[in-house]
Amino acid sequence: MDAAVAQTKATNAPIKVDIRGVNFYYGQSRALKDVTMPLYKNHVTAFIGPSGCGKSTLLRALNRIYDMYPNQRAEGEILVDGENILDQKQDLNLLRSKLGMVFQKPTPFPMTIYENIAFGIRLYERLPRAEMDSRIEAALTQAALWTEVKDKLQASGLSLSGGQQQRLCIARTVAIKPEVILLDEPCSALDPISTAKIEETIEELKTEYTIVIVTHNMQQAARISDYTAFMLLGELIEFGDTAMMTTKPRVQKTEDYITGRFG
Amino acid sequence: MTAQHIVKSYDEELKRLTNAIAEMGGTAESQLDQAIQAVARRDSELAGRVVRNDSAIDQLEEAVQSQTMRLLALRQPVARDLRDIMAAIKIASDIERIGDLAANIAKRAIALNQSAPVRPVAAVPRMGKLAQQAIKDVIDAYLEHDPKKAIAVWQRDDDLDDLTSSLFRELLTYMMEDPRSISPCAHLLFIAKNIERIGDHATNIAETVHFLVMGQRPTMARPKGDTSSYEVVEPPEETGAAAGGGGARA
Repeated sequence: MDAAVAQTKATNAPIKVDIRGVNFYYGQSRALKDVTMPLYKNHVTAFIGPSGCGKSTLLRALNRIYDMYPNQRAEGEILVDGENILDQKQDLNLLRSKLGMVFQKPTPFPMTIYENIAFGIRLYERLPRAEMDSRIEAALTQAALWTEVKDKLQASGLSLSGGQQQRLCIARTVAIKPEVILLDEPCSALDPISTAKIEETIEELKTEYTIVIVTHNMQQAARISDYTAFMLLGELIEFGDTAMMTTKPRVQKTEDYITGRFG
Repeated sequence: MTAQHIVKSYDEELKRLTNAIAEMGGTAESQLDQAIQAVARRDSELAGRVVRNDSAIDQLEEAVQSQTMRLLALRQPVARDLRDIMAAIKIASDIERIGDLAANIAKRAIALNQSAPVRPVAAVPRMGKLAQQAIKDVIDAYLEHDPKKAIAVWQRDDDLDDLTSSLFRELLTYMMEDPRSISPCAHLLFIAKNIERIGDHATNIAETVHFLVMGQRPTMARPKGDTSSYEVVEPPEETGAAAGGGGARA
């Protein structure tokens, strides 16, 4: 195992996603350098680091969303339940239903709240109306949005506030029953109350899902994650359990970054 | 020292906190010094000054508390900064207790002066010196971020404990020989116990310094040399034996 990960506290949680020696290229430029780390099942892992350190790139590699762009490629292995998803034979639709992603800015579809969620489910399953209704209620409940929207499911998703839109996107993601949820700075455009609600949602979701969150907010990483990965210039500098990382990181660079002593 | 914060005022606030702790430590050390002198020289006036001056340490502690509260609220510190601030809170409260104990020694000095001198008083300056040295060294360890120095203080606490135990036995002998000496000897007993407690607070601070620098408390067992609490009764060994009570040893 990689030196940066070597001293992680032993955990009983199985590894859901095993990232092994991953390199990523945007054309000629190498954005990830030999990144190796585990993502533990039913735990929250936070990726932190300054802008351009590769944390979003790593997140994008996890569900191969980069495949949609020319000249971007990943090398190495990302094993999800033991299967290498970087393999060219990987079914990308299946992969993305397993690893759902929520972006930095809320991206509701221009349709009703109900349809926003039903849309994704219909891509994978054909459900009778009653069952669809209960799936949508369950998804909205999991995303802590149900009580706020249950009386206006036919309103446009765009009529919601920013925080509600973001939770709608989380509901849309969990509705298709993924195994891993990837969150790319989900709270960066939200006010503190919406942020708190999203954090509460994440806390509840982790009993069922493996969660990865990219965040610029160190305190947020400290609050909601179990493990933290600190990246710098495409390299994984330190991976460890969050409590330890926020009280006594092993690597000086990590300490300098999280205490605001950088550059 | 490592790199500075991007936000300079943060560094300044942390520095102010460290300076406040240094000032508290210095004040406590001199309070103890004067309290011991008041005992040794039977100087009630000096003792009175020590008692009155205790509020200076209390005020410094309050200042540290409000500074740390502000830092926690505004900076949401992590890692070394967090340990720095937590350490300041803990150390300030240990020093505040040291100040209280020094003031109590001074109060007892005034009480001692009401009766004729007793010989075991001679042991007090020696104990006082050890405790004073412990405070000085542990505050130095804090300022220099030196865990080795802190551990040295921590280990030396044994000496102070031994002195307390032997003074305790000596005082018992005096009290048995001459009942008129019971009152001053009782005060001396408390003075010795107070000095011993000051040593314990210094070891607490040493542990905090270790945590501040290393991120964890010292792993070896803490020295526990003062057996005076066991001189009269031994602690029951098991719950079953507790019913019979401790046997008298002294």
